[in-house]
Amino acid sequence: MTDTTNQKAKVRVRPKEEFNFFQDQRVRSVFYQVVTAGIVGWLAWYLISNTATNLELRGMNTGFGFINSSAGFDTDFKLIEYTPGVGTYGRIFMIGALNTLLVSFLAIILSTVLGFFVGVMRLSPNWLVAKVALAFVEIFRNVPLLIQIVFWYIGVFSLLPVVKKSIDLSLGAERVILNNRGLYMATPVPGDLFWMTLVALAVAIGGVVYFRRRAHAKQEKSGVQTKTLLPSIAAIVLLPGAVFLATGMPLEWDVPVLAGFNYTGGTSVPPAFLALLVALSIYHAAAIAESVRAGILSVNRGQTDAAMSIGLKPDRVMGLVIIPQAMPAIVPPMISNWMDTVKNSSLAIAIGYSDIVSLFMQTALNQAGYAVEMVGMTMAFYMFISLTISFFLNIYNKRVQLVER
Amino acid sequence: MAIVKAVNTPARAAPISETSLVGWLRKNLFSSAINTVLTLFMAFIVYLIVSGVVVWGYLDATFVAENRRECFDNSLTGACWAGVIDWFDNIFYGRYPREEIWRINFGGLLLALWMAPLWITRVHGKILVGASVVALYPFLAGYLFSGGDKGLFVQVMVAGAILAFVINMANVVAGLVRNQSLDRLVIDLLGQANAPDKTQRNILLGLLAAGFAAAFLWQASWTVVGVSWTKWGGLFLTLVISGIGIASSLPGGIALALGRRSKLPVIRVLSTGFIEVFRSVPLITVLFMATTMFPLFMPEGFVLNKLVQVIIAVVLFNACYMAETVRAGLQAIPKGQFEGAHTIGLGYWGTMGLIIMPQALKHMIPNIVGSFIGLLKNSTLVSIIGLFDILLMLRSISRDVPWLGLHKEPLIFGAILFFIICFAMSKYSRHLEVTLSAGNKH
Repeated sequence: MTDTTNQKAKVRVRPKEEFNFFQDQRVRSVFYQVVTAGIVGWLAWYLISNTATNLELRGMNTGFGFINSSAGFDTDFKLIEYTPGVGTYGRIFMIGALNTLLVSFLAIILSTVLGFFVGVMRLSPNWLVAKVALAFVEIFRNVPLLIQIVFWYIGVFSLLPVVKKSIDLSLGAERVILNNRGLYMATPVPGDLFWMTLVALAVAIGGVVYFRRRAHAKQEKSGVQTKTLLPSIAAIVLLPGAVFLATGMPLEWDVPVLAGFNYTGGTSVPPAFLALLVALSIYHAAAIAESVRAGILSVNRGQTDAAMSIGLKPDRVMGLVIIPQAMPAIVPPMISNWMDTVKNSSLAIAIGYSDIVSLFMQTALNQAGYAVEMVGMTMAFYMFISLTISFFLNIYNKRVQLVER
Repeated sequence: MAIVKAVNTPARAAPISETSLVGWLRKNLFSSAINTVLTLFMAFIVYLIVSGVVVWGYLDATFVAENRRECFDNSLTGACWAGVIDWFDNIFYGRYPREEIWRINFGGLLLALWMAPLWITRVHGKILVGASVVALYPFLAGYLFSGGDKGLFVQVMVAGAILAFVINMANVVAGLVRNQSLDRLVIDLLGQANAPDKTQRNILLGLLAAGFAAAFLWQASWTVVGVSWTKWGGLFLTLVISGIGIASSLPGGIALALGRRSKLPVIRVLSTGFIEVFRSVPLITVLFMATTMFPLFMPEGFVLNKLVQVIIAVVLFNACYMAETVRAGLQAIPKGQFEGAHTIGLGYWGTMGLIIMPQALKHMIPNIVGSFIGLLKNSTLVSIIGLFDILLMLRSISRDVPWLGLHKEPLIFGAILFFIICFAMSKYSRHLEVTLSAGNKH
């Protein structure tokens, strides 16, 4: 009896289990994927074969051999040795990459500091301060970065006084000099025994860290606070200072001096660098300020109240209670801002700062051809930077999440 | 014996120190010694900046002059806006023939009229309005701006766009007057409200076909003079590039985002790779790739003009950013919505098209406006590769003989222009965020 019911049920179910080729999910998923892969593959093959034909037709060179051939042009700003006619295209690539990294690195530091400052200002109980910060953010966020860069370059740094009437930023010491050719700074040249001063500095810092740890442990244990700030500063200044004097001040300054039409000696950066640095810093500071503000606002209001009620002063409330809790909300958008800073530094090309795009992807490409290779190398450079930064961001996010839950 | 009052004692008025202007000042500006110092310091800085700007930009400025020398004669320390005013037409329209400028204005007016219904509550069928803007308006505007002889395809699309525009306007009237959608109104007016659905549909389709025929015949009766793309420029070109960019990056971004969330590994890997590659490089490298490598990609003898190359690059680049916006919107949809859709038997496209996307897109509108602001600001980069967009036009003023060396004023004018557009849009997107999220709170 039960047997027959089962059989009947089986019979009834059977048609549904019938294998319908086009309705089967696995078949369809394989089919879609094959079709997609086919289309993309065909497209890639089509583009590559077209490119190959075109390169041949135009008699253009291919391959990466150019990296070792010498480049005949010079650049006004470089961090490593390079002589036109001798230096290679590989060297040019390195110069451009380093210039990009230098300006991005400095802009990231400046914009982060300024951004935090403005972000906290935005939340100030002082109405005027908050509104000034708001105006700063809105103005610099809503004007295209390129216009800002060009403005700083043409409207500010190119209109500085000529070399003969340079501005001395070090108040008469002629150490830091600004004119329309750029910024000239004296560079310290360490002498023979200068390493001893550095060792003293390291010892002093180590001692201070140890001292502060001890003080902190003591406070945790007994509640007694030790004043650490003044002794720390004293140790860091006095110990290396004493060693420096004892070894006979082994440090000389390579000072920029006016020779003919321009300053020589010291370190100099061109106006384009300054314009790019200032514009990037301000533009991204406005963006970072917004994420700082949002992060701080994301911390529960009760945290502020509680911190105030145990008697912390407003600045301690910010520094000890609010900011540490806001960090997980601030850091991810801030790092994506850092990535944007690196990418946006490519706008240097508009004002002729020798970053990787203007030096390698424009000048070198115009000189040597190799469009595919050079564009590819430049893009690979940016991808490498972005991937590195997002790798660290992911590590940070994981750590923060583990701490929180 | 207790005295019980039947009415509540009215609240006492807030003390005068809280409500008066002095109270407000004391609380917000002078609450402590440090705050007072800070306020005075800030007020001083603000005074310096504002007075400097007003004196330079307005009081000492020259608005009417023939050339830069006259500006200097008038005032050495003030701005020379005369140069900017002299170049107004170039800044807004580029080198577009002056007698044809009405076409650009007319195109802009059409777009405004076309999109206006999206903001009128009583109008029905907003999705169709939005879709027709993206799908049909570009052809009409494209022909209007570039002109010349119409091919058959362009004729068909232009006729379709004209028809869509007329229907759209009639629909607005129907919505405002009768609070009905146009098709309902037509059926009612013809007295066919009780006819079977099929009859109703046939009537509507017949009317549509007739309308299309009429539009086709009418559009065949006129043409406009051809204007080469090399004459396009100024704010007009900036808006064309960013308009096309946003309109086509939205569908592209949706496709890429769906691909990235797909369960099929090949599709997922390809979409993810595509998105990540374009997101990790600067736009300028993509633009350079477009101008140096696209010509190599094309089959022999096939030449893309620079504008098309740039637009392709902008669209690819922004589609990848849009994909991440869409993905964030999709992630905000609770899993229950997917499961609910599966339970009632919807397949992938049904789930996405009917359940997920409508909700996700609503969440995304503020972010989409945000991307549009970013795209608009980024579109100034095309000036680097030599397209005469607004920035290059502004910079050209300083090379024009009468205005030689006039750098600052044009740039500041451009900055103000962008600020107004972007600030208004970001305010609007914030407003949208508030109104849209208000609808979500139950």
